Amino acid sequence: MRSIWAVATNTIKQAVRMKIAAVFIVLLLVLLPVMGVSMTGDGTLKGRLQTFVSYGLSLTNLLLCLLTIIVSIYTLTNDIQQRQIYTVITKPVRRYQLLLGKLLGVVLLSTALLVLFSVIIYVITIYTPKIYDADEADIIQVKNEFYTARAALVPPEVDVTKEVEDAYSKLQQSGQLPPNVQRSRIIAELTKRKQLEKRAAVVGQPLVWEFNNVRVLDPNGSMFVRFKYDVSVNPPDLQVYSRWDVGDSRQYPAAFATFLRKDPIRTFREMEVPANLIADDGYLAIRFLNVPLNDTTVIFPPDGLEVLYKAGTFTTNFIRAVLLILFRLIFLASLSLLAASFLSFPVAVLFSLCIFITATFSGFCLESFDFLGSNLSWFYSYTVRPIILLLPQFDKFSPTKFLVPARLLSWSLLAEAAGLMVCVKALLLLFFALLIFRYREIAKIII
Amino acid sequence: MEYAVETFSLTKIFSDWWGREKVYAVDDLNLQVRYNEVFGLLGPNGSGKTTTLKLLLGLLYPTKGKVAVLGGDGADPKISARIGFLPEESYLYRYLNARETLDFYGRLFGLPPKVRKMRIEALLDMVGLKAVANRPVGTFSKGMARRIGLAQALINDPELLILDEPTTGLDPIGTRQIKDLILELAKRGKTILLSSHLLADVEDVCDRISILYGGKIQAEGRVRDLLLQSNKLQITTDAISDNAVERIKQLIKDEHADCQVFCPMDKLETFFIKTVADAQQQAQPTSGAVSRMGISDFLAAEPAKANILDKLVSAPVSRPTPSQALTTEKVLPIETAESEPDDELLRKLSKPDKPARLKPVARDRKVKTQPVETKPKPEQQVRKSILDQLTDRSTPQNDDDEQTDKSQKQK
Repeated sequence: MRSIWAVATNTIKQAVRMKIAAVFIVLLLVLLPVMGVSMTGDGTLKGRLQTFVSYGLSLTNLLLCLLTIIVSIYTLTNDIQQRQIYTVITKPVRRYQLLLGKLLGVVLLSTALLVLFSVIIYVITIYTPKIYDADEADIIQVKNEFYTARAALVPPEVDVTKEVEDAYSKLQQSGQLPPNVQRSRIIAELTKRKQLEKRAAVVGQPLVWEFNNVRVLDPNGSMFVRFKYDVSVNPPDLQVYSRWDVGDSRQYPAAFATFLRKDPIRTFREMEVPANLIADDGYLAIRFLNVPLNDTTVIFPPDGLEVLYKAGTFTTNFIRAVLLILFRLIFLASLSLLAASFLSFPVAVLFSLCIFITATFSGFCLESFDFLGSNLSWFYSYTVRPIILLLPQFDKFSPTKFLVPARLLSWSLLAEAAGLMVCVKALLLLFFALLIFRYREIAKIII
Repeated sequence: MEYAVETFSLTKIFSDWWGREKVYAVDDLNLQVRYNEVFGLLGPNGSGKTTTLKLLLGLLYPTKGKVAVLGGDGADPKISARIGFLPEESYLYRYLNARETLDFYGRLFGLPPKVRKMRIEALLDMVGLKAVANRPVGTFSKGMARRIGLAQALINDPELLILDEPTTGLDPIGTRQIKDLILELAKRGKTILLSSHLLADVEDVCDRISILYGGKIQAEGRVRDLLLQSNKLQITTDAISDNAVERIKQLIKDEHADCQVFCPMDKLETFFIKTVADAQQQAQPTSGAVSRMGISDFLAAEPAKANILDKLVSAPVSRPTPSQALTTEKVLPIETAESEPDDELLRKLSKPDKPARLKPVARDRKVKTQPVETKPKPEQQVRKSILDQLTDRSTPQNDDDEQTDKSQKQK
């Protein structure tokens, strides 16, 4: 243990004194405050805060990921290439101790920097309203919609299997099925169409969502209906008029509140609703009416409606979001050490960067395979897809995805990320790194 | 455990990328290094010396055969805790300073902080780098880096010292100091395995040598046995009259033997050290202490009587008799000099519990016992510039001069 610690502290000294870390530190120290001033978002206080947190955390995340990759690879390959490892490995140090020491050093360094920059971002975020002397309405808005951690009620996908079957058999009977197309594709297409129908409201028509077992911490507080409109035809001012009724539809109109609104299309909007509209048994209905003022069908995208309610504080949510970044860094450190255990510096960096980028866009990559032709997709689903699934999904556990919409990042999700990224994937990588490093010849000369 | 280092049909083949065997770096090598001897691995460049050492230390894995170091595997922490290794070049972390470097290695051995601190100071003093201990080793010259490398190899007070070309990059004074240190460590019961192609160095310090070529042992044995011309005799006298010389010549002629009469030459090494010492005495006080910084000063002034006796009784190997001039100059004063502080200093190195205070005293004392430099002791505060001077001299050219001269003399 003492030798692991000796190697770890030496690794930190190396990263600091060789000024690898300095580049990143200076960059962030300069950029973060500048961003705090220059990021204005959509001009509102909330927009300003959202852009700052989003860009600040993303930048910190990106730079620290790069730093972790480069330092872990540098510290090992440099020792091997410059042969300082000759004098280290011939001391009573097991090779796994050397590798674990390097890992510990890199993780400690990254953690320290992560804490430093997170605190900077946090402080700037907290003090922004004071600096800009925001007015009362803005402060209330950001308090409810930004400085909070909200859980979301998402309406379940409507089951359309039966309707699809009916439609299919109808088509079959009338002989309208397109020739040379597989049944599964037609079914998929019909399903998509039916589900779209369920989320669309033509002019004058309502859409209703019902939730059961809704439990809010503070019944006298507020909930937020978060929604986004798509339209079939763009309205002239890109705005949609609407009437929303929220409450217990079984006692209509006694326990109902009505809101008349006008909202821009294709952006997420939030509507504050008192939480006491939820019935005592936890029932809540939301009804949207496409008022005749509009001249277009309004469609809610698949994630186009949620009900948000306060379930935690901004601070704890922020800490958990930062922990997500930490898990990433631990994974990347293990990955980089694995690469460095058998590759030279440039190759190992390239390798690790490829994996980092793929992991960052893993959701996009996986989705893109769904659009491939059937032959190709068969090939990919048995080759590339499993590999991508093996990688951690950085975008699924993206901290800004939670902080910007003030969405609760639950402990269980954090635990899932920790389990997958650190306990399974990082450990596995580390195991292979140890294995390779244990058996390789340190002083190998290739002739 | 008869041998400190033993190899059994050790073979190392370097293959190319396709696995085709390319080079027999070490070929069926059977090496035996006894405890408490100084063993030299000789050979031209590329003869497999360094590869052999790397195989011993587990930096490379043998293709065939096996090695036993101190009765075990050299990569086993229990064994490697008793080994000191100086690689062919001092590969150091450039961003650490000298003290941190030694501290790092001390921590790898799990030495407790007190012991570590004491040993570091003792070693820094011994290799003469105390004044620059806070400078990053990246800024060190080759000679200084070599000294730190040596200190690093000694921090665990090893039983077995493996030195890969210990004197490369050092100036003649540094070389002399390293050689004296090796002899001194051998007296203290250490086993030393060194590789070199500088024949003079090996001749001066080694009990036994192996000459490698193409990864195979070409010759092996005691230096004395290999070099002794038992059919010849050399008589060295003070200057005597021509008349006496004629009479001796006549005597020899009566024995039906040939004889040559000439004045013996100093070794260039001796001359060089003397010259530098003289120059230092005449120079301004800041540079007056250069040669006194040395390892030899520190270790050689130790009262070695008991050790030598022990050695004569216990060790089967006789201490080699290197060049005559050197022995008379260096060893004689060692035995006559009685300075306790040094003894304690050394014990402190191996037994951590003793206080570290004694060093400065030892330094002053030693100075007086050193015959080569008979000048007054230097001021303590001038050490830094001394070192700069010392290290400035460690250019390869000096080294080469010495080398060529020596090899000529051998002929």
